[in-house]
Amino acid sequence: MRSYIVFTKKELIEYGRTYKFFILFTIFIALGFMNPLTAKFMPKILESFMPEEIEIQLPPPSSLDSWAQFFKNVTQTGLFVAIIIFSGMMSREYEKGTLVNMITKGLPRQTVILSKFTASTLLWTLSYWTCFVITHIYTMYFWKGETVLELATSTLFLYLFGIMLISVLLIGSTLFKNSYGGLLFTGGFIAILFLLKLSHKIDNYNPLQLANQNINLLSGNLHPSELKSPLFVCCTVIILSIISSILIFDKKQI
Amino acid sequence: MNILTIENLSKSFGDNLVIDQMSFSVPKGSIFGFIGKNGSGKTTTMKMILGLLKPSRGTIEVCGERVKYGQTDTNRFIGYLPDVPEFYNYMTAYEYLKLCGEITGLSKKTIKDRSIELLGLVGLDHNNKRIGTFSRGMKQRLGIAQALLHEPKLLICDEPTSALDPIGRKEILDILATVRGKTTVIFSTHILSDVERICDHIGILHHGKIILSGTMQEIKKYYHQDSCLIEFSNSHDRDRFLQATTIENLESRETTDDVSVILKSQALKRMMQEIMSEMIRLDIVPVKLEILDPTLENLFLEVVK
Amino acid sequence: MDQYIEYLPVIIPLFIIQIILSITAVIHVIRHPNYRFGKKRVWIPVVLFIGFIGPFIYFIFGRGDD
Repeated sequence: MRSYIVFTKKELIEYGRTYKFFILFTIFIALGFMNPLTAKFMPKILESFMPEEIEIQLPPPSSLDSWAQFFKNVTQTGLFVAIIIFSGMMSREYEKGTLVNMITKGLPRQTVILSKFTASTLLWTLSYWTCFVITHIYTMYFWKGETVLELATSTLFLYLFGIMLISVLLIGSTLFKNSYGGLLFTGGFIAILFLLKLSHKIDNYNPLQLANQNINLLSGNLHPSELKSPLFVCCTVIILSIISSILIFDKKQI
Repeated sequence: MNILTIENLSKSFGDNLVIDQMSFSVPKGSIFGFIGKNGSGKTTTMKMILGLLKPSRGTIEVCGERVKYGQTDTNRFIGYLPDVPEFYNYMTAYEYLKLCGEITGLSKKTIKDRSIELLGLVGLDHNNKRIGTFSRGMKQRLGIAQALLHEPKLLICDEPTSALDPIGRKEILDILATVRGKTTVIFSTHILSDVERICDHIGILHHGKIILSGTMQEIKKYYHQDSCLIEFSNSHDRDRFLQATTIENLESRETTDDVSVILKSQALKRMMQEIMSEMIRLDIVPVKLEILDPTLENLFLEVVK
Repeated sequence: MDQYIEYLPVIIPLFIIQIILSITAVIHVIRHPNYRFGKKRVWIPVVLFIGFIGPFIYFIFGRGDD
């Protein structure tokens, strides 16, 4: 336990001093502001592209549009940035050989994995929920009195999806000496999730739903209980990923 | 008492046998020079002592406890300085020592006292710069400090001087000499002058085996043999000289390059007389005629032949 | 102009974040002139003028080890 806290602290210092946390956090804050702003401006932008003769009555933007931006931006930009920032978590240490000293000083190998996971998840948590709070405040400000359904559940789902990607990235980064290896591994995992969408039967279990059904939850088209199976798969993947990372790292020559 | 005992240790990577039935021991309090050419298996051996590599066969004992791969409890006795120590560049030397101390489980006060003491010893006190800005030599010195932090019984240094300039090398050797008596040191190298400067025990590793080990004096005495180096002005002179019968009858003749030869004999005086009279007879004037001391280098070249 | 006033509470903080990001990056570019690739005269305009992406690319890919 002592070494777990010590090494997690080291990880957080590393993210701080290498500007990784700064970049991640500011980008998520910026997204938080941009979501409601883009939603508010979207009709105006579309209008300016329309030829003048055509009269189209665009519905005024609603709070649902603001949240649609949140889910779109966090999955497309936010998660992408987070994955790139975390991609070197193990491989950078392999490349430089910095773990040798820690392990010979008696740091248990599994602690390394657990600390890496904890630190990156902590950063993700902080960035994600800060982004959420900002979008939430401005959505309430721009669309007073409007409410959406299942906001907490829906955002929690995407949050868990993010943790799952981090845990998959952890395996990739533990496997490969090069940080691109981890990125490719995670990219491959996401590609498989997209392929699974093709089969309707399997798609009922696809954790990808936690990241692309969010708006349907908010609008009431889908009830959270219908995503039970993807949620279960997601949590299983997280746990299995951590366990397999530990097992892989135990065998790894550093 | 032996701090480290290695018995019948073997390690192969695939078909490549790197360590072959190696056995040796390191007595307490010694500075042990672990000598071998590049690629002779020095680093492999050290990594097995640290439990970072799994031996194919054989046993390693540190302070009477067996080393187990993966679960390396024995590392609490050991301080390790890798050949190219890498630290977290964004930390200061003091922060790094603090991290090491916390991982080892030392108390806050011990960490502080030891860090200050060791940073002073290695000349990095009052240095608040980040490790990323350090020179090779400074990193090597920080490496010694972190290795000595938990007052290990055994300090293992992998080629600590190889990548350094003469001043950096001297600094490292001086630091190692100051821990003599307190800590047993194993020190791998291919730079023999460094070994001669500080080691009292040596082991020569060749083709995965220890082919010679013991105290420095013993070995030098045992292998004492007089030899003489002659350098000629051209190879023609040398060949003519080597064909002379008295020279052909000498115990050992070894040509090092086109114009030189090393001759060996147990009776130095007689050999020198023969050489000189042969030269007068053949009318050859050498560029250089030198009696060689039994240096470690000569000894090393001889045993790894 | 009036119609934009209601957006100021969101535009101003966004603008401030952009400034903080660019300034931090530009200071780092000047004070640590060893990059993994590129030169100082490339990095300065990149972090100043390419929105959020410039500083991101600089800190994650371009920044040399301290």
